[in-house]
Amino acid sequence: MVLELQKPRPIWQIMFSTHHTDVGLLYTITSIAFFFMGGALALGIRAELFLPGTQIISDSMTFNRMFTVHGTAMIFLFLLPFASGVGNYFVPIMVRYKDMAYPKLNAVAFWMIPPAGALIWLGFADFTWYATPPYSAIRAPGPAADMWIFAQKILGVSSVLGAINFIVTILKCKHPDLPLSKVPLLAWSFLSASLIIIVAVPTFAAALVMLLTDRLGVSGFFDPAKGGDPIAYQHLFWFTFHPEVYVLVIPAIGMMYEIIPRFSRKPIFSQSSGIFAFVMLSIVSFSSWAHHMYATGMSFTEKTVFMIGTLAAVPASGMHVFNFIATMWGGRIKFATPMMWAVGGIALFFSAGAGGVANAAMPFDFITHDSYWVVGHFHLFVMGTIAFGSIGFLYYMFPYITGRMYNETWGKIHFIMSFAGTVMVFFTQHVLGLYGMPRRVYDYQPYPEYIVMNQIASVGAMIIGVSMVIWLINMIYSAGKGKEANMDDPWGLGGKYYFPYQAKNPHH
Amino acid sequence: MSGHSNWPEWIYVGVIIVLLAYVGAEAWNVERLVEHVPAEAEVIKVIGQQWFWTFEHADGTKEVGELHVKKGHAYKFEITTKDVNHAFNIHDYVVLQDAVAGRVNEVWFAPDKAGEFPIQCREYCGLLHYNMRGTLIVEE
Amino acid sequence: MDKTIALMLVLTILVVLPTVQLVFAAGTDAHEYVNRKIEIWNLFFKMMTIAFTVGAVVSGTLIWLVWRFRESNPNAKPTKYEGTDW
Repeated sequence: MVLELQKPRPIWQIMFSTHHTDVGLLYTITSIAFFFMGGALALGIRAELFLPGTQIISDSMTFNRMFTVHGTAMIFLFLLPFASGVGNYFVPIMVRYKDMAYPKLNAVAFWMIPPAGALIWLGFADFTWYATPPYSAIRAPGPAADMWIFAQKILGVSSVLGAINFIVTILKCKHPDLPLSKVPLLAWSFLSASLIIIVAVPTFAAALVMLLTDRLGVSGFFDPAKGGDPIAYQHLFWFTFHPEVYVLVIPAIGMMYEIIPRFSRKPIFSQSSGIFAFVMLSIVSFSSWAHHMYATGMSFTEKTVFMIGTLAAVPASGMHVFNFIATMWGGRIKFATPMMWAVGGIALFFSAGAGGVANAAMPFDFITHDSYWVVGHFHLFVMGTIAFGSIGFLYYMFPYITGRMYNETWGKIHFIMSFAGTVMVFFTQHVLGLYGMPRRVYDYQPYPEYIVMNQIASVGAMIIGVSMVIWLINMIYSAGKGKEANMDDPWGLGGKYYFPYQAKNPHH
Repeated sequence: MSGHSNWPEWIYVGVIIVLLAYVGAEAWNVERLVEHVPAEAEVIKVIGQQWFWTFEHADGTKEVGELHVKKGHAYKFEITTKDVNHAFNIHDYVVLQDAVAGRVNEVWFAPDKAGEFPIQCREYCGLLHYNMRGTLIVEE
Repeated sequence: MDKTIALMLVLTILVVLPTVQLVFAAGTDAHEYVNRKIEIWNLFFKMMTIAFTVGAVVSGTLIWLVWRFRESNPNAKPTKYEGTDW
């Protein structure tokens, strides 16, 4: 597998290229940049919450803007583009095609992200990443809010274009000798996630237009005084963004499916159960959106339906965990950095899932709704599972992209610090939630339990922050001065990889 | 695919489904119990606005920021908002319901301990969301 | 197949029937108010019992796997796929 960049080229050649590896590189670097920017905000938030009262952020509006942009940036500017980057690198290679199906469209989809990112960061909106009306419609200060809406609009179009591209590449451009059932699970994960995007995103696109016209005062879709209903927005929003959780998590699982067999020196335990679980997840992802809205005054029947729909996602997720464990069983596992991230990700995936089952139980919502429990829970997914899979995969791609090896020792230190930090921050936040601390608060009451646990969480966050700086230095230094990698077998695993990594592109 | 036995996986999936069924049934049952409002529950109107709570008792008396109730009585909150969404929360009594514009949401409780308990807003509602607090005072 | 039926029977008796009974036998006595705090927290502790039990099994398995099948374990054997084109 040759993922380019090994020959130094002028930067504009990469920027204006439509080749899948170049676009993949752009996606990856952009997303990592936004990851560090969003992470800096998270550290600011945690520093502020280290003690009750005002610490480093002088007013609550700035704080509110910070967590809003942190959430938006991490989801839309880090996780999604990073997955697209990986898909751009690997999907064409895995289906044995020379490029993505529509290379120009691919570049267009990428180039929509920087302007959207600029709108989000320059606007710095304050209405949380889900922008619920009436607050977002009548109170949120502009132009930040409007800039956020336009940014989301652009990002939505970008992910739909990217999704179309992946679907066509996989279904129409795969090599005729390669049956769909033999397409590697990483490519399958992109197929599933892209199908979810196509179905889910238009709903939010519609909601955004309605929200914008509501803000302009020309309509009242979400304003009860004009015959609208704010709950309608929440339905439209969560119909997109509950499935979106699976859009994020499915590629991360696909990345683990790439790493775990490789480093266990065994094929995947069951390709067919992996495919089955992906397809199941993409279907049931649409059955659970309103579990975010138990507290909005839903009827008992509605709650029951969405509880069952939520629980229905568990068996398929459990099948993935089983598949990972069964793949490792009887292998000879080399714990290089990517493998450590993948295994750590599985452990945290289970914890997140167990918390998810508890959340689905509807009476439990009276305790946890909009408390720090929720923050801890979903961060175990987005950080513990998805970011862990992604970071591990970046270590895995690194030699193929740069032709050089990262520093293995510092990679392991990075993992151990991040894992410990993640456990400290997000498990503690679960307990904080049980004590009743609301989320999205600039200040909290000075109960001793609150203070202690907030401090543990803040220290954990700083540990993660330091480890990420180590990572950045390792990546930058190794890209230029690292050891030359043995491109046939960078980790000394023996054996050949099962997809035609030698396939070179005539373009280069 | 590769001809090996998938029995362990099916048993594993079966166990998961059984556990989920148990969790679901328990949750369904508890929800059914706590949602059943006693007929004699006294109505208290709760109005959220940026950034304080107003309470209106059945006899018409109004309180701002403080709510006095009696131990051993059942109360039904009718929650609404004057501006943006809030969430009415008495964590110590596991009372929580969103205050949604244009709707009246209901939740009930029967305090069994006298004392003061914090009331807070759980749904992001702008600038002073973190400080939208009140006090529940349960009298003997 | 007989074993499956037997297994399902045992599960039904152990899990489903008590739950059903619990649901229909629940009191509707109007004078004793349901204490939502106790009901909901009890549910929470039941769920956590399940979650931590399952969690112990899963993470125990994972830790054992990591310990047993690491390549530096003295018992580590090459897998039959090593060096082949799989």
